Amino acid sequence: MVVVVVVVVAAQVDADVGSRSISSSAASVLPDLGLKYTLVLEARNLHKIYQTPSGEVVALRDFTFDFRPGCFYAIMGPSGSGKSSLLHLLASIDTPTCGEVRLGGQAISQLTESARAGIRLRRFGFVFQAFNLVTVLTAEQNISFPMGLTGMPVNERKMKTDLLLKRFGLRHRRHHLPLKLSGGERQRVALARALANDPDIVFADEPTGNLDTANGATVLAALREVTNEGRSVIVVTHDLGIAERSDIVLKLRDGQLVPE
Amino acid sequence: MIWLLGLNSLRLRPLRSTLTVLGIAVAVASTVIFLSLGEGLRRIWRNEIGSVGPELQVSYGPFDTTSLTALPELPLSYLQEIEAEADAYAITKAIPLLFYFRGGLNPGQSFLFQGIPLDTDLSEIYIDFRIVAGRTFTADEGSSNVAIIGSRAAERNRLEVGDNLRLNPQTSYTVAGIASSAGGLVDNAIIVPLETLQRAIGISDRVSFFALDLREPGSANEVAQRLRTDFPELGFQTRADVLGVIEQGIRISDVVRLGISAIALIVGAIAVANTMLMSVFERTREFGVVRAIGAAPFFLFGLVLFESILLSTVGAGAGVALGRLGIAIVNALSLDSIGLEVASLTLRLVLFAVIVALFVGIFSGLLPATRAARISIARSLAHE
Repeated sequence: MVVVVVVVVAAQVDADVGSRSISSSAASVLPDLGLKYTLVLEARNLHKIYQTPSGEVVALRDFTFDFRPGCFYAIMGPSGSGKSSLLHLLASIDTPTCGEVRLGGQAISQLTESARAGIRLRRFGFVFQAFNLVTVLTAEQNISFPMGLTGMPVNERKMKTDLLLKRFGLRHRRHHLPLKLSGGERQRVALARALANDPDIVFADEPTGNLDTANGATVLAALREVTNEGRSVIVVTHDLGIAERSDIVLKLRDGQLVPE
Repeated sequence: MIWLLGLNSLRLRPLRSTLTVLGIAVAVASTVIFLSLGEGLRRIWRNEIGSVGPELQVSYGPFDTTSLTALPELPLSYLQEIEAEADAYAITKAIPLLFYFRGGLNPGQSFLFQGIPLDTDLSEIYIDFRIVAGRTFTADEGSSNVAIIGSRAAERNRLEVGDNLRLNPQTSYTVAGIASSAGGLVDNAIIVPLETLQRAIGISDRVSFFALDLREPGSANEVAQRLRTDFPELGFQTRADVLGVIEQGIRISDVVRLGISAIALIVGAIAVANTMLMSVFERTREFGVVRAIGAAPFFLFGLVLFESILLSTVGAGAGVALGRLGIAIVNALSLDSIGLEVASLTLRLVLFAVIVALFVGIFSGLLPATRAARISIARSLAHE
C-alpha cells in the first residue's frame, strides 16, 4: 500500500499552481482502474470561520486539494485541527466561509441547500463514528432509506437492499432496530446505507472510533474494498492503522495542511 | 419515506404519542359535546315542528325565539276576522293556542302549559296523538281544571291520572289523561282547556298563536303572503319560517359554545405543538443524519407536519368516540331531568371535528416543522 504524505501548506502557495501540483502528485500514485466513478472532488481555497460568543474561530484556512476517484484518503490531525470541518465542507454538509468545492467541475458549495442535498443523496455516502442510524428504522429500512429518498421503485429498492444485507453479513439482522444490534453490526449497516445509492465518494468520520479491534478491521477492510470498486473514500481518523492502509494521508493542524 | 419514518417514530414512542392523542381527543370530545347540544336542539325542533299538524302559525307581530315564553299578545278578535275570510284564504280550521311557561330552578319541574279549545281534536294539532292512560277531555269540561299531560312529564314528576298539578297558588289541575305523540311534542306538554288557562293567568281576550289548517298544505307560503298583506300587524309563519327563527337562536348559542370549546382546542393545539417541538429537539441528531444522507429540508418539514397531522387525526377519531360517550351521558341526564335528549352527534359535526383537528394538526405542526427544516446539519451531528 502506497502512502503519500502531502507536504504542502496550501496557504503558502498560489492556489491554482498548488492544487495542480498536489493533484498531479496524488494522481501519479493511482492505478488506472478504468471504472465508472470518475468524478474529481476539488477543494479550492476553503476557509471556514465560526462565529462564537467569544469571537471568531478559524476552523480551516485556505485548503486546496483534488480528491481523485478510487483512492483512499485519510485526514489526520489533533482535536480541533479542522478535520471534521473539512469533511463537512467536502461533503456539502456545511458551506465554506470562502472558497469552493467542486464535483466533476461543478461548484457544489454554491448550490442551494436542496441541490446539495440531492448531491449528498446520489453522489456521496456517509459513515459516522456514532453510527448515526435512524433509531426508529430497522437495519433493512435504514439501508433502503436513501434509495427511497431518490424515489427508487420498491422492487428495485428491495433487491438492492437484499444484496447489501448479504454483502455485509446482515441478512439475519434485517428486521432488528439499531438498539438491538452490536456496534460492529451497526457500523456495517451504516456502510451498507452509505453504498445504497451507489455513491462516487464515501465520507467516513472516525468509522472505527467506537469499535473493537476485530470490528474495526472488518469495517476498514470493507472501506478499502469500496475503493477497489473505483470510488473514493475520505476518512477522518486518529487511527494510525487506517492511515497506514490509506493511499494518501492529509495532515491538518490549526486548520491548515501541514508537511510531515 | 415520510410515512414510514413518521409512523415508526410515533409507534416507537408510544407514551408520548398516546398522551398527545389523548390531549387532542379530550379537546375534540369537549367540542363535539358542546356543539352536539345545538345539533340536539335542532333535531328536537325539527321533530316537534314537523309533528305539528297545522301548516301556518299566526303571531302578534313578528315571531321570535321569545314568543313561546312571552305573555300572550294576540287579540282573539283577529280569529273572527280570519275565520270570516276562511274560504278566501283556503283555511279549513283556525285554532287559538295559549302557551304559558311555568319555570323553576329545577328544570324537571318546569312546564309548558298549552291552552287549547275544548272542541279541538288534539290529533289535528299533534300528529299521532294518543292517550296512553286515563282519558281525553269531555265536552262539558270547558271550565274545569283538568289536564292531559305528556308521558315524559308524567314519568319525570311521578304524576298519575287523578293527581294534582299546580300552575300557581290559585290554580291546580287534575290529571285526566296521559298522552304521547309523534316527535315527542306532547311528551313534555301539559294540555289544558284554553278558558281555564286564560283565567289562571288573568288574560281572557288574548292568546299566544293561532294555528291555521289549510286546504292545500303546499300553498302555505302563498297564503301566508296574502295574509301578511291583509293583516300587516300580524306575523304569519310556515313551519320553515318557525324553524328558521329557531335556527337563528341556536346559531347564536353555537357561537358561544364554539367559543368555549375553542379554549379546549387551543390547549390541545399547544399540547401538540409542544410535543412536536420537544420531538424535534430530541431528534436533532437523527434529523441531522437524515439531512446528511440526502433528505432535502422540505422532507423534514413534511415529516414533522405529517406526524402532527396524524396525531391530530387519530386524536379526532378518539375524540369523536369519547364525545359520543359524553353525549350519551348528557342525553341520559337530560332525559331524566327535562324529558328530552338535548345532544345529537350528526355527520356534519363529525366532519367539523375532523376538519378542526386537521387544522389543529397543521397549525401546531408548522412551527416545529419549520424548525426541523432549518436545522444545521453540522451542528445536529454534534448534538448529543
